[in-house]
Amino acid sequence: MLKDITLGQYFPGSSIIHRMDPRIKLILLFCFITALLMANHALTYAGVLLFLALAVAVSRIKPKALFKGMRPMLFIVIFTAVLNIFYTPGEPLVSFWVFNIAAEGIERAVFMALRLTMLISATFMLTYTTSPIFLSDALARLMSPLAKLKIPVHEFAMMMTIALRFIPTIIEETDKIMSAQKARGADFETGNLFRRAKALIPLLVPLFVGAFRRADDLAVAMECRCYHGGEGRTRMKQLHMTAEDAAVLTGGLLLLSGLTVLGRLGWFIP
Amino acid sequence: MNEIIRFDDVTYSYAEGSAPALDGVTLAIRQGETVAVLGHNGSGKSTLAKMLNGLLTPASGTVAVCGMDTKDESRLLDIRQKVGLVFQNPDNQIVATVVEEDVAFALENLGVPPPEIRERVDAALRDVGMLEYREHAPHRLSGGQKQRVAIAGALAMDPLVLAMDEPTAMLDPKGRGEVMETVRRLNRERGVTVVMVTHHMNEAALCGRVVVMDRGKVKLDGPPGDVFSRAGELQSLGLSVPQTVALAQGLGLDAAPLTEEECAELIFKEFSRC
Amino acid sequence: MLEAKQITYIYGQGTPFEKTALDGADFSVSAGEFAGVIGHTGSGKSTLIQHLNGLLKPHGGKVLLEGRDIWEKGGKMRDVRFLVGLVFQYPEYQLFEETVEKDVAFGPKAMGLSEAEISERVREAMEFVGLDAGIKEKSPFDLSGGQKRRAAIAGVIAMRPKVLVLDEPTAGLDPSGRQEILSHISEYRKQTGAAVVLVTHSMEDIARTVDSLTVLSRSKTVLRGTLDEVFQCRETLTKIGLDVPTVTRVLLRLRSLGMDVDARAYTPEAAIGAIRAVGQC
Repeated sequence: MLKDITLGQYFPGSSIIHRMDPRIKLILLFCFITALLMANHALTYAGVLLFLALAVAVSRIKPKALFKGMRPMLFIVIFTAVLNIFYTPGEPLVSFWVFNIAAEGIERAVFMALRLTMLISATFMLTYTTSPIFLSDALARLMSPLAKLKIPVHEFAMMMTIALRFIPTIIEETDKIMSAQKARGADFETGNLFRRAKALIPLLVPLFVGAFRRADDLAVAMECRCYHGGEGRTRMKQLHMTAEDAAVLTGGLLLLSGLTVLGRLGWFIP
Repeated sequence: MNEIIRFDDVTYSYAEGSAPALDGVTLAIRQGETVAVLGHNGSGKSTLAKMLNGLLTPASGTVAVCGMDTKDESRLLDIRQKVGLVFQNPDNQIVATVVEEDVAFALENLGVPPPEIRERVDAALRDVGMLEYREHAPHRLSGGQKQRVAIAGALAMDPLVLAMDEPTAMLDPKGRGEVMETVRRLNRERGVTVVMVTHHMNEAALCGRVVVMDRGKVKLDGPPGDVFSRAGELQSLGLSVPQTVALAQGLGLDAAPLTEEECAELIFKEFSRC
Repeated sequence: MLEAKQITYIYGQGTPFEKTALDGADFSVSAGEFAGVIGHTGSGKSTLIQHLNGLLKPHGGKVLLEGRDIWEKGGKMRDVRFLVGLVFQYPEYQLFEETVEKDVAFGPKAMGLSEAEISERVREAMEFVGLDAGIKEKSPFDLSGGQKRRAAIAGVIAMRPKVLVLDEPTAGLDPSGRQEILSHISEYRKQTGAAVVLVTHSMEDIARTVDSLTVLSRSKTVLRGTLDEVFQCRETLTKIGLDVPTVTRVLLRLRSLGMDVDARAYTPEAAIGAIRAVGQC
C-alpha cells in the first residue's frame, strides 16, 4: 500500500546533529560535498569517510537505516562503477571481445562508487536528522539575500511548506480513490503499457480535481488568517546559533577545508 | 448588548442573472451570543458566513464589523482579525506541517513579535485542549483534533467573533462533541461570540439563538425553543427538528423540549394522569 | 449470502507503524437483509467493509460469498467486486468522466456488458437514485453536492450488486438530503431483493432503516443481532461510547419515572405509538 512509503524521511531524535541549526547542517553538507569531489587520493578519501562516520556515530542513526534508504540508488552506483571499469584507459589486465579491464579502471570504479555512496549518505544524514519544515526554513533563510535580487524566496519557502504538508494527505487520497475505482471494476495492474496508462485516468482526474479543490480551500483559509505575502511577516521560531553550533561549524569547516586543500594540492606520498 | 456585526439589507449573487444567494438580509450579531445558522444546501448560509469577515462583500447593502465596512479594503486585516473564520474540511485549512506552526500562522502574518507569538499560540492551544499535541504532525490527528487546531489558529488572533461554516459536517459524533464542547466553553469562559452554520439540529439546539435561512432570506430568527416549535415550517424548508421535539409534537404537545429530561418530564406530566 | 469470519488485519505489517485494524471481527448479511454497522472512527469498520469485496486480503479469517471463500484459488476477484458493490465515504470525489452517463457506465463497462445492456443499466441506476434522465449528458462536476453523491452511488448500483455496501452515504448532507438518499437505498433493496449494508455514525439513520446491527469497537465485533437485541445491551453500548437512539432514551427515562411504556421503540413514530398505547385517557 502507498501508505507504507515514508516520504521526507525524518527520524526524530535528540543528538547534537538533530539539535544543530539546520543552516549549519546545510553549510557543512555543502563543504562536505566539495571536499569529496576534490578528493583524489586514498588518504583524502579516508579523511572524508572518517568525517562522515563520525557524523553518523554522533547522530545515532543506525547505519542499517542509512543503507536501507540507499537501496533505490544502488543501481546508479553500480552502473557508474561498471562504466568506469570498462571505459578507463590503461594497461589491460583482462580483455575479452571489445572490452578491456585495466587496473586503473578498477581503482577508479571503486573510488567513484565510494564517492557516490558517501554523497548519498551525507545527504540522507541531513534529511534523516532535520524535520522538513526546518529544512525548508533553513534553505529560505540561507537564500534570503537573493530576495534583494527580486527572487521570490518567501514564496518558494511557502510553497515548499505547503507541499510538505499536503504530501501525506494526497497519498491517502490516492489510496482511497484507487480503492474506490477498483470497487467499480477498475484494473490498475494488468494489460500492456497503453492500457495501464489509460486505466490511470479514473485515478488521475479525481486526484487533480481534488488537489485544485484543496488549493482553493487553502487559499481562502490563508486569506482568513490575514496572509498577505511575505511583507512584514515575523516567525515564531527563530533559528539561534548556539555555542555548540558555532564550535561544530568551526571544527567541521577546518577539517573539511583542510581536506579540500589537500585534495587539490595532491598528496605527495608515493 | 453590544452589536458586533451588522448586516443591512445585504444582497449578493454569484453570477449575473442567477438567483441571489443572499436577498435583502438584515441581521445583527451581538457580543457574547451563540448563533446557529440553519438552512438546506443552497439556502445562502455559507454565503452569509463568508460575508462575516469580508471574504465576500455585498452587491448592495452593507456589512459592518465593529463599525468597519467590509468593503473598505484598508480595514480588511483588522476585520479578519476581529472575525476568525473556520471551515468545513479540517484537512484543507491547515497550512503547516507542525500543529504549533499552524496556529502561529495568522500571528506571523500580522507581524507579531516572536516571543508574543509563542505565548499566544500556547494559550490558544490550551484553550482548545490541544497543547500536548503542539509538536504533532496535523495529518496524524483525528478529525475532531484537526478541527480544534483550526479553531486555535483563528483564536490566536484574539478575535471577537468565531465564525464557523459547518465545522462538524465531516466529523464523527465524538469529534462533533469535542468541537461543540470547545466552542461553548470559549463562549462561556472567554466571552467569544460564536456564529456557526450547521446541518445538525441538536447542535443548533445548544446555541442561544437560531437563524433559519431559505433562498437567501432569513426565515426564522429566535431562541431554539421558539424556532423548533415550528416543526411544520422547518420541514417545508427541508430541515428537521431534534428528535425530542419531533416526539413531543407528534404526541400533540405544544412545546419544543430540547433535552431528553425535559422531554420525558413533559410527556410524563401529560400522559401519566390516567 | 456474505459472511466475514474472524477477520484479522494489520496495517503496515513489519514496519514500526504496525497497527491492528481488525482482530477477529465477525459480520454477516443474508440475501435481502438491511444490515447496519456502527462504531467509532478507528473501530475498524472501514477496514472491515474493504474485506467484503476483496479490496483487502485478511491476515486471518475468511470472507465467504454464497458459501465460497473469495480468496479461493481460481476465483475471479473482479467478479466478487461486481457482486458486492462498495460505495466509499464521500463517493462524489471519485467522479471522473465527462458526462454523468459515462461515469455511471464505468462499472457496467468493466463488466464487459453490451452497449444496449449498459445504457439500460445506466437508465435504471439513475432512476433508482432519483436523478432526472435529462442530466445524463451533463458533466458530473456541474451537479449540486447532493446530486453528485447520488450519481456516484448510481455508478455502483449500475453493476446490480447482490450486496450493496455503503460507507456513511449521508455524511455532510442536510436533513432532507439524508432522508432522500436513505429512501432511495431502501427502494433499491425492495425492488431488487439485494442485501444492503449501511455503515454509519448516526443511530437515527440506523433506527430508521436497518433490520440487524453489528457494533464494532477496538477492532472487534462487540454486539451483533436485531435492533431489539442490540439495544437491549445499553450498558455495552455506553461503555464503548455509543448509546441507544434519543427517543429510546426518553422512553427509558419515562419508565424510570414510573410509566409502564415499552422502550423497544427507536424512531419518533414508533415511540409515539408506544406512549399512546399506555397513556391514552
